[in-house]
Amino acid sequence: MNYGRELLKGNTDSLLLYLINWQSTYGYQIIKELEQRSNGYFQFKEGTLYPALHRLEKGKLIKGKWQMLSNGQQRRYYHITKKGQQVLAKKLATWQDFSTAIKAIIQPEAT
Amino acid sequence: MADNLSHYLDNFKASLEVDSAVKESVAKELHTHLEDKSQELKEKGLSEEEADKAAIQALGSTKLIAQQICEVHSQGSWQEAFFAASPHLLLAFFFVSYYWQNIPCLSIILTATVGIAIYGWHRDKPIWLFPWLGYYLLPVIVAGILLISLPQGWTWLGALIYIPLALFVLVYIVKQTANRDWLYVSLMFAPLPVIFSWLSTLSPKNGFLSGNLPLVQLQLNAPLVGISFLALAIATVIFVRVKHRWYKAIALLVPPTVILASVALVGRENIGFWGWLVLFLSLLAFTSPALRSSQQLAVSRKLKTES
Repeated sequence: MNYGRELLKGNTDSLLLYLINWQSTYGYQIIKELEQRSNGYFQFKEGTLYPALHRLEKGKLIKGKWQMLSNGQQRRYYHITKKGQQVLAKKLATWQDFSTAIKAIIQPEAT
Repeated sequence: MADNLSHYLDNFKASLEVDSAVKESVAKELHTHLEDKSQELKEKGLSEEEADKAAIQALGSTKLIAQQICEVHSQGSWQEAFFAASPHLLLAFFFVSYYWQNIPCLSIILTATVGIAIYGWHRDKPIWLFPWLGYYLLPVIVAGILLISLPQGWTWLGALIYIPLALFVLVYIVKQTANRDWLYVSLMFAPLPVIFSWLSTLSPKNGFLSGNLPLVQLQLNAPLVGISFLALAIATVIFVRVKHRWYKAIALLVPPTVILASVALVGRENIGFWGWLVLFLSLLAFTSPALRSSQQLAVSRKLKTES
């Protein structure tokens, strides 16, 4: 089992919500952004992105909307909803607590 | 669009069993993704063909994405589940409250059923439509069966005009529903085994095909008939709410089959040859689409494991 992949899988929703909250974005940009921000650590499996986005949309955490670009191309931009922001805030708080607790165990002198 | 991308998206759409609006939207989304990726790879120096192939490879198996998207969209909301179960609940209520013999009441319900079925059909066939559609089709099927008992001379007229027309409507609706999802054909036909099992026990030997239905018998069984439809309503709610197709198939297939088997076992002395035949056909019409769908799922899982 790839531990890094499992961690990414368990935190996919938080990462997607965070990026969409930061700015309304579309599928391909999300993949690039995740890769760039994590310095290539997060290699998101592209095919799993869209089911995850649709799951968040079905849960009314984000909302997808087709937008026409100036070059005539259409893209489906995702925007975070109020419910999505609330869920993200809870997930981030849980993650901070978890991260602090882990650090306290593995780097006791740093806390 | 390059042939490779076009072929990939066609395969994706063929594997995706969701309503057409969602299907087109997701396919368009994947299309823009593939174009972006391919463009980026071309800028890095790959040829068009190489870039398209690499973009497709990065996105992965069409069947797997389609299956995951289906799982997201196959779970209906509680409102959809309740609305899908409503026709069964209405019937349960009518039998338990003995309103089922009230002709004006039944006429209003029948008109409402036709209206709701037509509305849903033209509103991109949401999941709640299919149980309503089953009741919408029921008069067509029953009238077709009753034609057999018409006096001689009339039967051929019925056969010439009514049956081809009814079959056309039936086949058209089944085909359109199956295009959406074979499981929904079973959801649509779920009332058939329940209704026919109760009807088949009514009159001795020739069953309901004799044309003289001893309604008193049905009146006596009304609470049990009501409970049967309540079971069907619960099965429908579970069907709409669960995500996985196997659970959907099980939730849908078990209650009507158990009801049919129990009613047929208890009332077997009253069921004649035609009664058994209709029961068998209704069970076949109800179960075979779901079994076909489960078979497809098993094949797709095998492919996934092999890949």
